[in-house]
Amino acid sequence: MIHFKDVSKTYPGGVIALEKVSFHLKKGEMAFLTGHSGAGKSTLLKLISIMERPSAGQVLINNHDLTRIKKSQIPYVRRDIGMIFQNHLLLRDYTVFDNVAFALIIEGYTRKEIGKRVDVALDKVGLLHKARCRPDMLSGGEQQRVGIARAVVNKPPILLADEPTGNLDPELSKEILGVFEEFNKMGVSVLIATHDLGLIARMRYRTLSLSHGKMISDSLSSSMGGGL
Amino acid sequence: MSLLFDNRQSGAEELRRSARAQLLVFIIGNIRQMIASLGGMWRTPAASFMTIAVLGLSLTLPATLHVLVKNVQKVSASFDSASEITLFLNQGVSETKIQSMVARLNLYPEVDSIEYISPQQAMAEFKSLSGFGQALNYLDSNPLPGVILVRPTESHKSPTAAQALLKKLQDEREVALGKLDIEWLQRLNAIIRLLQESVYTLAVLLLSSVILIIGNTIRLSIMNKREEIEVMKLVGATEGFIQRPFLYTGIWYGFFGGFLAFLVLEAMLWWLGGAITRVAESYNNTFILQGLTFGEFGYLMLIAISLGFIGSLLSVRRYVSQIEPEML
Repeated sequence: MIHFKDVSKTYPGGVIALEKVSFHLKKGEMAFLTGHSGAGKSTLLKLISIMERPSAGQVLINNHDLTRIKKSQIPYVRRDIGMIFQNHLLLRDYTVFDNVAFALIIEGYTRKEIGKRVDVALDKVGLLHKARCRPDMLSGGEQQRVGIARAVVNKPPILLADEPTGNLDPELSKEILGVFEEFNKMGVSVLIATHDLGLIARMRYRTLSLSHGKMISDSLSSSMGGGL
Repeated sequence: MSLLFDNRQSGAEELRRSARAQLLVFIIGNIRQMIASLGGMWRTPAASFMTIAVLGLSLTLPATLHVLVKNVQKVSASFDSASEITLFLNQGVSETKIQSMVARLNLYPEVDSIEYISPQQAMAEFKSLSGFGQALNYLDSNPLPGVILVRPTESHKSPTAAQALLKKLQDEREVALGKLDIEWLQRLNAIIRLLQESVYTLAVLLLSSVILIIGNTIRLSIMNKREEIEVMKLVGATEGFIQRPFLYTGIWYGFFGGFLAFLVLEAMLWWLGGAITRVAESYNNTFILQGLTFGEFGYLMLIAISLGFIGSLLSVRRYVSQIEPEML
């Protein structure tokens, strides 16, 4: 599903963010991406959502080469990828409902269809009763769940998360991961970047570890003891 | 349709809509964005009103000048006729010949009336008016020619017809020189043309400033909505979708600015109307100040809306594409 072939990324000024990274995340697979801060986790995710372009190598999604995607086509690629962020990037001036609906409005759904789908997405993350609230009125964990609802509302085949549990206590983190697992069970490929090794250790998932831009291990976390 | 996943339909296509239904969805989406832009302006009434006021006043000036030029043209059109042709006769033409010529000219269909001023009459008039008095008695002979004043009929008072009549009269043997009193009219027309040109120059300057004002206002609102634009780009909104609300905002600014200019102009004409009527009455004249016609009002609105669109387009093209999402 997501296929990196010897991907390197050098930022202007010579900072090497990724160096010859290769891996293949299969359809319906869930994996963690770990590494110290600055190891290149965010850069790797940015290459998938085409917020950055690789300096060398190829990134393929479903066998489509992303380097061949034109700038005007990027929005359509992003509609296939649900993205979740540490700071959730919710719009403060809009209700929870409107924040989630954003992802559908841009695709030209009818109002009726939007209402139905947003309700389903909010129900899945357990926030249907808070649809009319503004993000400020929600707790950190709830805000993160709104972010997840927005990412999955148009049922993308790929879900990317950048430090989704960064600001949450262990109990909430577990809950959020539970939501990801649920989507994974429905066939969505999930890639979660995190430095929360304790979280990964408790779960038996594939773990990709980055260090200084290089892929140093790719394994099941249980057998490798965290991979670091 | 999804670019990456052949079997994954997305958005409007997912519901398997026909091309016509998709167009309908597009139009409804546009109308929704248009109304939403209006709502956005309504939420910041003070700022919106100030922008609209600046636009309205910037548009009022050229519109007022246009109305002014139009009315001056109307006034000058009422002057636009030659009232008299002056014919200076050759020296030494006998009185009988002159009388027969006067009789002949009276038969011209173009001629309304004729007045003959003999050299003696002219001398007497000159004596009384010039103040040379007795000094003129020392002249050996009367140097003044006989003069015939010809008034063309109503249908031959236009500059070109009068010019033709003048030419015809000059061909008479007894006539030395003919003169038409429309030169001042040509000068007036030249002045009006100059006025018109300056109005256009001024209008171009003011309309450019309208574009810049709208461009800057839209730029600020793009900057204010930076966060929202980033999120929209992250979830896969196209440039066009993000740009449209700003373009509609520019169009609304133009619309309201143009309408404000119309209202201010009409108020001004109403205010001046009374004063102008009084002036016209003192000249025993009825002059009605002409406002904007419906067509001109349409042009005003069209220009205002186009300016709003162009101004916002310039900003949107430049600034929306600059904003790229950052993942923190």
